[in-house]
Amino acid sequence: MSEQAFRYLNKAVPRTEDYRLLTGYGRYLDDIEIAGALHVCFVRSPHAHARIVSVDTTGAVAMPGVVTVVTGRELAQWTTPMRVAPPIEGLVPVEIATMPIETVRFQGDLVACVVATDRYVAEDAAEQVIVEFAPLPVVTDMWQALDADAAQVDPMVPGNLVSHQTYSHGDQQSANRRAFRVIESTFHQQRQTHVPIETRGCAALWDAGRDHLTFHVGTQVPHPLRTQLAARLKLSESQVTVISPDVGGSFGQKIALYREELTVAALARHLKRPVRWREDRLENLTAAANSREDFCRTRAAVDEHGTLLALDLEMREDFGAYCFFPANYLARVVAMVLSGPYRLQDYAFDVKVVLSHKCGNAPMRAPMSITSWVMEGTMDAIARELALDPVEVRRRNLLTPEELPYRTATGELLTDITPSRTFEAVVTALEYRAFRERQQAARAAGRYLGLGLCNVVEPTTYGSRFYKAAGIPGSGHEASWIRIEPSGVVNASVGLGPSGQGYESAMANAVAEGLGVAPSSVRIHLGHTDIAPYGMGSRGARSGTAGGGALYLCALDARRKVLAIAAACLELPDDDSLRMIDARIERRSGDEWTDAGLTLGDVARRAYLDPTSLPEGLTPGLEFHLTYDPPPMTYSNSAHACEIEVDVATGAIRIERYVIAEDCGTLLNPTVVEGQQHGAVAMGLSGALFEHMRYDETGQNVTGSLADYLIVTSAELPNFEIIPLHTPSRATAAGIKGMAEGGVMGALGALTNALNDALAPFGVVADRHPLTPMMLRDLLRNKL
Amino acid sequence: MKPAVFSYHRPRSLEEALSLLTLYGFDAKVIAGGQSLAPMMNMRFAQPAHLIDLNALPQFAGVTREGDTLAIGAMTRHHEIATSATVRAACPLLADAAATIGHYAIRQRGTLGGSLAHADPAAQMPLIASTLGARIDIAGPDGSREIPATQFLTSVMTTDLAADEIVRTVRFPALRAGERHAFEAYSRRHGDFAIAACAVTAEFAGSKFSGLRIGLGGVADVPLVLEELAAGFVGEAADTRTVARIADAVAGAIDPHDQPDISAAYRRDLVKALTARALQRVTTAVPQDS
Amino acid sequence: MEKKSIYLSVNGARHEVHCEPRKLLSDALREDCRLTGTHVGCEHGVCGACTVLIDGRPARSCLTYAVQADEVQITTIEAVATAGRLSPLQQALHECHGLQCGFCTPGIVMTFEAYLREHPQPTEAEVREALSGNLCRCTGYQNIVRAILLAAGRMRAETAHV
Repeated sequence: MSEQAFRYLNKAVPRTEDYRLLTGYGRYLDDIEIAGALHVCFVRSPHAHARIVSVDTTGAVAMPGVVTVVTGRELAQWTTPMRVAPPIEGLVPVEIATMPIETVRFQGDLVACVVATDRYVAEDAAEQVIVEFAPLPVVTDMWQALDADAAQVDPMVPGNLVSHQTYSHGDQQSANRRAFRVIESTFHQQRQTHVPIETRGCAALWDAGRDHLTFHVGTQVPHPLRTQLAARLKLSESQVTVISPDVGGSFGQKIALYREELTVAALARHLKRPVRWREDRLENLTAAANSREDFCRTRAAVDEHGTLLALDLEMREDFGAYCFFPANYLARVVAMVLSGPYRLQDYAFDVKVVLSHKCGNAPMRAPMSITSWVMEGTMDAIARELALDPVEVRRRNLLTPEELPYRTATGELLTDITPSRTFEAVVTALEYRAFRERQQAARAAGRYLGLGLCNVVEPTTYGSRFYKAAGIPGSGHEASWIRIEPSGVVNASVGLGPSGQGYESAMANAVAEGLGVAPSSVRIHLGHTDIAPYGMGSRGARSGTAGGGALYLCALDARRKVLAIAAACLELPDDDSLRMIDARIERRSGDEWTDAGLTLGDVARRAYLDPTSLPEGLTPGLEFHLTYDPPPMTYSNSAHACEIEVDVATGAIRIERYVIAEDCGTLLNPTVVEGQQHGAVAMGLSGALFEHMRYDETGQNVTGSLADYLIVTSAELPNFEIIPLHTPSRATAAGIKGMAEGGVMGALGALTNALNDALAPFGVVADRHPLTPMMLRDLLRNKL
Repeated sequence: MKPAVFSYHRPRSLEEALSLLTLYGFDAKVIAGGQSLAPMMNMRFAQPAHLIDLNALPQFAGVTREGDTLAIGAMTRHHEIATSATVRAACPLLADAAATIGHYAIRQRGTLGGSLAHADPAAQMPLIASTLGARIDIAGPDGSREIPATQFLTSVMTTDLAADEIVRTVRFPALRAGERHAFEAYSRRHGDFAIAACAVTAEFAGSKFSGLRIGLGGVADVPLVLEELAAGFVGEAADTRTVARIADAVAGAIDPHDQPDISAAYRRDLVKALTARALQRVTTAVPQDS
Repeated sequence: MEKKSIYLSVNGARHEVHCEPRKLLSDALREDCRLTGTHVGCEHGVCGACTVLIDGRPARSCLTYAVQADEVQITTIEAVATAGRLSPLQQALHECHGLQCGFCTPGIVMTFEAYLREHPQPTEAEVREALSGNLCRCTGYQNIVRAILLAAGRMRAETAHV
């Protein structure tokens, strides 16, 4: 799709969601009043690994207000276990019971469920459930996990190695022999968790008359969740409706069908009463889902000018105790896109994913977050080792526009990306030469400034062909419908699951652009599986490309029919001279467009109420449906640059400037895109500086409150300067590329590289997150 | 997380409050601002059978200048202390420190008495009270007693209060004319409890220290007031070299616990930097001998 | 399970509430007064999502027990917009894209409706400090800060014209 002038896309507009959210009239899960609903509280294991010897619920059940207490045995009768067994080489299948019966595998694992009249009573009763445990040996370290004598986390996963994948392309050995130097770098990313401000929760209503379950749950994937929920409850999909209300953030945590949610649904059906659950923050931090905890080691073979000849990646990820989704997935994505915007053909990787006695992982905004930090940290290591300028090393290796499309060593096709352009933009914006001079002067005065750069190539949207080629079951398409009502207003829907990204206005823009109406006349319906078409939901950064794309193309279909009917209304032989702008038909004569005196409402009335007057071949009504499968992979790209000052006496880091240049194609709503950029970078900086989900050596989680698990506040962040450099994709609908995760990737790399640049005079390198003041002082002590 | 069941009492007079405490003893907890106690109760770390709410005792709040002393009622909110013109005039170190407690909303509710009774080793009010030699007026069923803050704070989260006593008033000595002050604290994020904090007051005769007080928070079970160490520098030139020597001495004088996430070595590094910064601030504009 | 009968004065209206002493004010507002605009994010006073005004001062409603609040005036987010018209702060948040999922938003609005009355001309640094008691996971804070400064300017201009 070549450059085109859009009327609504690429134009910043305020969101339509805001009124209700600003005035306290949003409708989140807990705001939904359900008469007679019972409340649950889960009894959780205090041990990281133990056999459940006995569960005595008699005391709890006897308490006033308690309806029942169930264990894994009841759930095993009411539900089927979860099987995660995609046919992927190197991936071990696992099966997960709805609730453990014999063994618990992490501190916080489920043991029983109390159902009571309110949460206060349920918590009291949970304390009265007496569980006898036989503690078992524990493994909490991803290195020890592969020792021959390590405790086994999952009997189906021998040796705790749930996924092992290797790959090789080109001739590394020869490259290493030719190389001037082979430079090794390591990167340790810590265990983290999503911390949506709204925790998990759900409410289940069983209609005994209709044999039908209505399940309210905040989710990014309403239809896939419905499919799973029905299957696990041994119901048909038609017997289940999933409704996702306003969601207070998700970031990848609210995707899997969690065991707690399934338990609530099963209870509602069994008790024939509505049942609801609100997870508290302690549970959310320790028992919902963890993420990240990766280790990467690169060996980069280079010539004396810093040209990258070959790269070897060793990676290991600690996946926790349960695989709620395929364990190879994220680690594999890291290895797949590692080379980013750089020229590289001789490449090999070895990726291992191991289990441990910790809360299981779920994808967290930019699950491949470590990627750019690794590649860009490697670039900086090359510069350091060879005493070259880090900007020059990057320039030497960056793909030029002439080299695109470029087939990477892993077979990915890089096309319609502009990494050189975004890189040069931040280098210019940071006034690189002038910075180096300031840095020199500051050092002489005992102050330590640093500049960090990070280029990001962000895989945003996976098409079905990608999954097929990778042997991963699942589809990348998205589904939409548009209905123009008899009065001319528009209702539309797409299978996405919003959690704060402003889809209501962004998707309205996509419809408006394709159809030719004002966005304010378009109402978007999301999250209700009976209303929305069956889509794959929101994940990665696919919503813009796949969701917006589907709606845009569907709207084009709608426009075609509208114009054909308009032509008939105007007694024209065809619609070649017609267009629709803001729901008014215009007619061209010569170079002029004039109002044809016909509105979308007029056309709609004819379509619905006077169908015999429609042109030959056109059916009554104006309702459209379209599915869209985007290209196998779509990328957006950005460059991040960060200037910091390090207080070497205390180890504190202050971020002075943060600049992002980004190309993410056509924007459904630039306002929303900017918000996503801010949020992604903030999350990345938060991860690099503060967050750490910690377990002690016995598997006890020691970060169970927001006073212990630290997320960044407004006082620690700078203002982000954004340089938009958007160029449309030629392969996607409307040229949309998508974005929202690249900011996390860029922040990790830019900040760490800035820190290492600042500390260069001391000859130390920080290779692990979080970059705590204590760690910095440990590096610097005795060097000052 | 919901708290465990408790009975609630809201006394309207000191006598009523004390008789409730006498009646229930260790089964009762007093709640003032609730900013420290309620989180513990909500997480069921604290499960008092009886909660005695002091918020109906307005006579316990207020700031009064009594000659060279600032008398502050135990129920006075941090926000009032941070913004009171009387406090700023008499004891600006206290106002500065109070302004850094937690966050804006927390300061609206949290109280001086509550902070002292909670006795967190990293908290601002215990540090300032100790450093300035404040006196704590305690009310009990048998009458009142007054003890220095350093005697009141006995260990981590532990005070000299008996089960049937409450803090009523805290008396801070006013700063003397010409006495300078500085409060330096460091936490990784704004509003968190300090990893370490340093409170300093200094007086000068010409270019030399004529008075010096140094207090540290977050490095021991209770705030550390380094009286002897500080006294040792009285009479010395108040210049950058002395500042560095004091900071070194202070860092060497502490023996913090080694914690998995914060080593003793780190706390010493931090204390050295914070002490140096606090002293630099109080010694600016002191005439330097050539 | 001894329940007390109390009257909560919320947004100028009286609500009769029967609850145990341990019931959090946040829960009482949401369930008994049916004012669900106040959100619960942590129940230990850190995230700030539950912030309401107690006698005009911001307070975390998760750290107050409902029984403690029967002699005070409580103001929640539902009272901020009047007759459907957004307050200057709400309007500025909308214009500056200072909210995404909206879950932390009511707590921020309540905090700053009070803060701006007391500090009508804050610097950006002061705003960032004051905002640090409200956690947001979506926005990165920048647009919230911009909105607060914009609202402060508009509120000053309004007072100047009065």
